[in-house]
Amino acid sequence: MSESVLRVENFSVDYGVGERAVRAVTDVTFSLGRSEVLGIAGESGSGKSTLVYGLTRLLRAPGVIRSGKAILRVGEDSARRDIDLLEASERDLRSLRWRHVSVVLQSALSALDPVRRIGKEFDEVLRYHGQGKSRAERRSRAEELVTMVGLKTDRLDRFPHELSGGQRQRVMIALALALNPDLVIMDEPTTALDVVTQREIIDELRELRERLGFAMIFITHDLSLLVELADQIMVMYAGRVVERADSADLYSIPRHPYTVGLMNSFPPLTGEIVPMTGIPGSPPSLSALPRGCAFAPRCPLASDRCLNETPPLLVEESRSLACFNSSSSVRERLVISS
Amino acid sequence: MSTAPLLEARGLSKIFSVKPQGRAFARRRPFRAVDDVSVSLGAGRVTAVVGESGSGKSVLARMLARTVEPSEGELFVEGAKIDPRERRDLAYTAAVQLVLQDPFASINPVHPIRHVLERPLKIHGNEPSLVPGLAKELLERVALTPGESYLDRFPHELSGGQLQRVSIARALSVRPKVLLADEPISMLDVSVRLGVLNLLRDLCDNEQLAVLYITHDIASARYIADDVLVMYAGQVVESANGTTVVDRPRHPYTQLLVSSVPDPGQGDRPRMQAPSATAFPEVGCRFAPRCPLANEQCRAEVPTLVEVEPSHHVRCWRVEEASVLLTSRDSQKGGGETT
Repeated sequence: MSESVLRVENFSVDYGVGERAVRAVTDVTFSLGRSEVLGIAGESGSGKSTLVYGLTRLLRAPGVIRSGKAILRVGEDSARRDIDLLEASERDLRSLRWRHVSVVLQSALSALDPVRRIGKEFDEVLRYHGQGKSRAERRSRAEELVTMVGLKTDRLDRFPHELSGGQRQRVMIALALALNPDLVIMDEPTTALDVVTQREIIDELRELRERLGFAMIFITHDLSLLVELADQIMVMYAGRVVERADSADLYSIPRHPYTVGLMNSFPPLTGEIVPMTGIPGSPPSLSALPRGCAFAPRCPLASDRCLNETPPLLVEESRSLACFNSSSSVRERLVISS
Repeated sequence: MSTAPLLEARGLSKIFSVKPQGRAFARRRPFRAVDDVSVSLGAGRVTAVVGESGSGKSVLARMLARTVEPSEGELFVEGAKIDPRERRDLAYTAAVQLVLQDPFASINPVHPIRHVLERPLKIHGNEPSLVPGLAKELLERVALTPGESYLDRFPHELSGGQLQRVSIARALSVRPKVLLADEPISMLDVSVRLGVLNLLRDLCDNEQLAVLYITHDIASARYIADDVLVMYAGQVVESANGTTVVDRPRHPYTQLLVSSVPDPGQGDRPRMQAPSATAFPEVGCRFAPRCPLANEQCRAEVPTLVEVEPSHHVRCWRVEEASVLLTSRDSQKGGGETT
């Protein structure tokens, strides 16, 4: 891998403090290369959103960052410096945000100010970060940006409620790219959109990344979408990373039983219709996690050891995996058992 | 089918009166949210209605459940005509039940599951001494076993998947013939969705219910349904048995929909491009502004639903030309403006 934009080490987040604290993200470590797309897959409660809120310091109380480092590398060549996002002051964060890291959230309607025209949002971001001396200059940059995401420039004069869901999400993406950031984080940006619009936005994102070279963290529960978009995929369950691999590898040979289960949860669009089962049981509550592997109660391969010990994440070059049944025959055995 | 369908709708329409957006003093105009939809639900069959948000699929379900009064059209329960403008009676409620998308919103959070299930059992005239036993049985029919362990729990103590099963159990409590499920899995965790879908399929097979499955996810419709209808802007644009709609889509919109679904197993499929959704026109085909094949006729006249092969209906003037859209890779490059 080339040099990394973001290195995250042993990152943990709690909700609440003291005895009743609930660990939502446990010991997450990963690194993200320049222009790379990391996909994070997991169900609700898996900690995927908490992870990025924590990393970008957008986490609100009762969320508390318990440990870890998140080193962001900014600037080119001689001006290059490393910043620990978790140590940065509010003031530093303000200049980092938009310029180096930007975030696109699931609901663009709640991210945009309802009583402001779209153009004003662009103007503010550009002005704060010293882009464009005059209003006219900033306006022309804003026009450039919305055109880039396939919107007409007159959308800048509209209010958020006058745009469709897909258009609003495009506005968010254009804003996120306004200052050419090194890293763009997308938290379920297409989940609320219909599938045709989702397809358009995904195709656009791929093209924009090709052209502008930003790295991206893309969060979704839809594993098949990630396989198309991401270079690497990280699967989370109950706050932990359970598997990480190149997306093509993960798709062709999923090793963790949870990953296999997730893949069996989406009926395919082609081929014979075969009965599929999804995963038995329900995702655990973080406040009452089982002893041992959190997935064990739902896992067809769980042994006594799984019920008592938490499997560590074994990091190898091409794959990280947190499972005691790590032999490559897992998939075959699961297919037979289901 | 020789016997009459359990529930049949003919020419169902809903006209809402809306103000044009952003013009506070403009006059209200009629808006056809559902336009001339006919659907017939047979015993032991799952019928899927696929459409994006705003396609009118939920309004259709609510008209079938008679919680929204249709503006036009007729309803038939086992062949007997019902006047949908009359007040809904208990017999209709008992015959047709609606399961909603979000179980946390559709089940009263202040009562235990026991109350949620016993209330409809009592209202629908079951012997009071039998009611607790029936409630437990209902839970076991939706695979919440042992039933007793769930009866005294409150909704917030269950997961989304479990609670959606409770809401299906509640619908079953009145021994319905028809189950209408409006996006029953889209709010659930991905790993439990198939479980709920399989449950609906089993109920349909084992108890000869007629199930209407409303969804935006065409792959899940293909997985569960015997018949699939695709809706666009309030109209049925394509319908057929089994997997035909997904495997051999004929309407340009269905083709766009199918080619947009992420499906990494397919590698680089030919992908159809079309301009994004706009407000649909008042004359002509509603898909015409996005359709790469639209011509003068499409912009002037509303196409009718025609049978292109046995039990496969398509609403398109250019259905002959449309069959080749997906097969010719190079024909649709460039797309259009995105507004």
